[in-house]
Amino acid sequence: MFLGKNSTEQMGLEELTSAYRLMALSRRFDERMGELNRRGVPVPHYHSGIGQEALMVAAVMPLRRTDQMIYTHRGYGHLLAKGISLREIVLDLFMKAGGTNQGMGGVMHVNRPDLGVPGREGAFGSRFAIAAGLALAAKLDGRDDVAVCFYGEAAGARGILYEALNMAVLWKLPVVYIAEHNGWSVSSRTEWLYPEGSMSRVWRGFEIPVEVVDGNDSETVFTAVSRAVSHARAGNGPSVVEGLTYRIEPHIWKDKAAYQPSEEIELWRARDPLLRAAKRLIEFGAGKDEIQSIENWADAEVERAFAALETAPDATWDDARRQMETQ
Amino acid sequence: MSTTKLTGHAALNRVLASELAADRRALIMGETVRLGGSTRTVLRGLYDRFGPRQVIETPVSENGIFGAALGLALSGYRPIVEIYTADFLLVVANEIMGDIAKWRQQQALPGPLPIVIRGCTGPGMEGALGSEHSQAMEGFFHHEPGLVIVTPGTPRDMAGLLRASLRSPDPVIFLEHRRIYEMTGEVPDDEGFMIELGSAEIVHPGNDVTLVAWSWMRSEAENAVRVLDQEGISVELIDPRTIRPMDHAAIARSVARTGRLLVVEEGTRTGGVAPEVLVRAVESAAKPIRIARVTTPDVILPYSPTLELPLYPNAKTIAEAVRRLVASDRSAAPVAAA
Repeated sequence: MFLGKNSTEQMGLEELTSAYRLMALSRRFDERMGELNRRGVPVPHYHSGIGQEALMVAAVMPLRRTDQMIYTHRGYGHLLAKGISLREIVLDLFMKAGGTNQGMGGVMHVNRPDLGVPGREGAFGSRFAIAAGLALAAKLDGRDDVAVCFYGEAAGARGILYEALNMAVLWKLPVVYIAEHNGWSVSSRTEWLYPEGSMSRVWRGFEIPVEVVDGNDSETVFTAVSRAVSHARAGNGPSVVEGLTYRIEPHIWKDKAAYQPSEEIELWRARDPLLRAAKRLIEFGAGKDEIQSIENWADAEVERAFAALETAPDATWDDARRQMETQ
Repeated sequence: MSTTKLTGHAALNRVLASELAADRRALIMGETVRLGGSTRTVLRGLYDRFGPRQVIETPVSENGIFGAALGLALSGYRPIVEIYTADFLLVVANEIMGDIAKWRQQQALPGPLPIVIRGCTGPGMEGALGSEHSQAMEGFFHHEPGLVIVTPGTPRDMAGLLRASLRSPDPVIFLEHRRIYEMTGEVPDDEGFMIELGSAEIVHPGNDVTLVAWSWMRSEAENAVRVLDQEGISVELIDPRTIRPMDHAAIARSVARTGRLLVVEEGTRTGGVAPEVLVRAVESAAKPIRIARVTTPDVILPYSPTLELPLYPNAKTIAEAVRRLVASDRSAAPVAAA
C-alpha cells in the first residue's frame, strides 16, 4: 500500500502521509526497544534508527515491489517501507518462529524475496557487488527494475565499493547507491574515516550523478532518490545519493555512547525528521487530529507486533528446514 | 555409449558449451574469459558462440565478480565464475564462505543457489608455478559447511563432474588440475553424462591397503599401484572425486576389508583434507586400523621448479608409504603408523 508512488518526483500530501506513517511506526518501534533496553532486557543485533527515518523510508518509497533493496543494519524503516511487516521483523529479532528466517539469521538477515528484499551479506561490503549483480540480472532480463543499495560508514570504506562501482558504470547497471551518513561508525566520527567527511566523493570520478542531500527531510530524499531511480530505469546507469543525518542513539544495545556529546544529540533532535514531516503535513493541509491518528495507529501496530511476540514459540531447526524445503 | 578421446581442456569446453546452449540463464563470468579465460583453452570459442550475455568479461575485481555472481544467482541466473588461478580464491574468501556458502541458511531461503566457481590448480606439466599459483586449494575451503568442492582426476571425470556441478542447486568450487588439462582420456558423448557429486570411484580393487587419492594424485597413485601389484601388494585405490561431500562410507567399506588406510594429498600436511579422512575412518572402524598419509610438507612453495617439484607426493613416495604401512604390521607398530 505504500509502494508504487513513483509517478512523480515530488511528494504530495498522499506520499508524505504514507511516509509519515512508516516513519512513525519505525520510531515507535525503536522507542519501544529503547524501553526494553533501559529495563535491562538484552536485545542482541538490534540497532536503533532513531533520527534516520526520513532517509530510510523516503528513499524506499519510489521503489516498486520488484525493485531490489539491500538495507543496512541500522533502523527498520527500509524494511517497513518495502512492505515487510513489523511483526516479522520483531519475530526475527527475538529468534521466534514465524518471522522471515526462523532463527537462522535473526534481524540481521530479514528477507522477503517476493517483496524485493533478497537478504543481507555477512561482513558488510559485499553488498555493493551483490546489488550490482541484482541490477545486472534486471538488465539481462530486459526488466526496467532497479537495485537500491543502502550503506553506512563501515561498508563504504571497503574496497569492493570501487570494484562494484567500476562494473556498474562500465555496464551501465540500473543501481542506486545510498550513503547513510549518520556521523558515526560505531565510535568513530565520519570525518575521521573519509576525507572532509564525505562518503560520496569517491564516486565522483566516474562522472555519474552524485547528490548530497539533507537526509532528515523526507521530501528532499524522495525527490533525489526518485530522480536516481528514474535515471536507472531509463537505462542511464548508476547514481549515488548521500543523505546527511545523525545517529541519535548508541551504536548497539550495550554501547553507552559516552563519546557522543549531548549538545550534538540535542542539535540533531531539533532536526527530527518526524517533526519536520509533521510540520509539512500541516502546511499541506492535514489536520493535527490526522497526525495524532497516525501516531495512535503506530502505537497500536507496535502493540500488535509485541503481542505476537508474546505467543510466538522460539524458532527451531524444524521451522527453518520446513521453510527452506517447501516454500 | 559412444565416447571420444579428449584432453581435459576439451572435455570441459564441450560440457560448458552444451550447458550454455541448454540454459540461457547459465552464464560465464570472469577475467579474460572473452578470449578463452586464464587457460586460453577451456573457454575457447564460447564468447564467439554465445556472445556477451552469456560470456561476461569482467575487470580484475574478484570481490566484485563474486558478489555480482551472488546477485545474479539470487535473480535466477546460473553464474559460472572463473577465477584466474584457484589460489586467488583467497582474495574472495569472504564472498565465498561468508556470503555465498551461508546465504541460503541465513535467510532460510528455499530453492537453489547455483554458482559454480572454476579455477585451475596445481603445478603444470612443464614446471611449477610457485606459492601463489600452484597450491592445492581444497584444504583451505573444506572447513566450510556450506560448500561443495569437486576435484576431478581424469578428463572423463572433469566432464561428468562439471555437468553435475552446473546442474547442482548448491554452490560448488570446481578445481581443475593443470596436469589433467593436458591428459587425454575417453569421455562419453552423451549430453546427459553426469557423475553424482559425493560418489567415490574404486579405481583399482585390492585387499591389502586402501589408498585414497584425488585430482592429479590419482594418477601418481595409479602408477604406484602398478608397481606394488608386481611386488604382491594388493592395493584398493579410491578416488573420492569430491572433497565435500566426501564419500566416507566408500572408504570405510574398503578399510573394513583391508584394515589399512593411506591418504595422499597434494596440499600441505597440517590441517588438510587427509587428516579428516583418516580420523573419520578411525572413528567409524569396528576394529583398530593402521593409517598413514603422504602430503606435501608444510612449506611455502618456492618459485624454482627444481625446488618445488620434488616436494609433491609422487608414485615413488606413495609406493614407499604403502610398503611401510604393510611392514608396520610385522613390527607391531601402534595404530597410527608413520
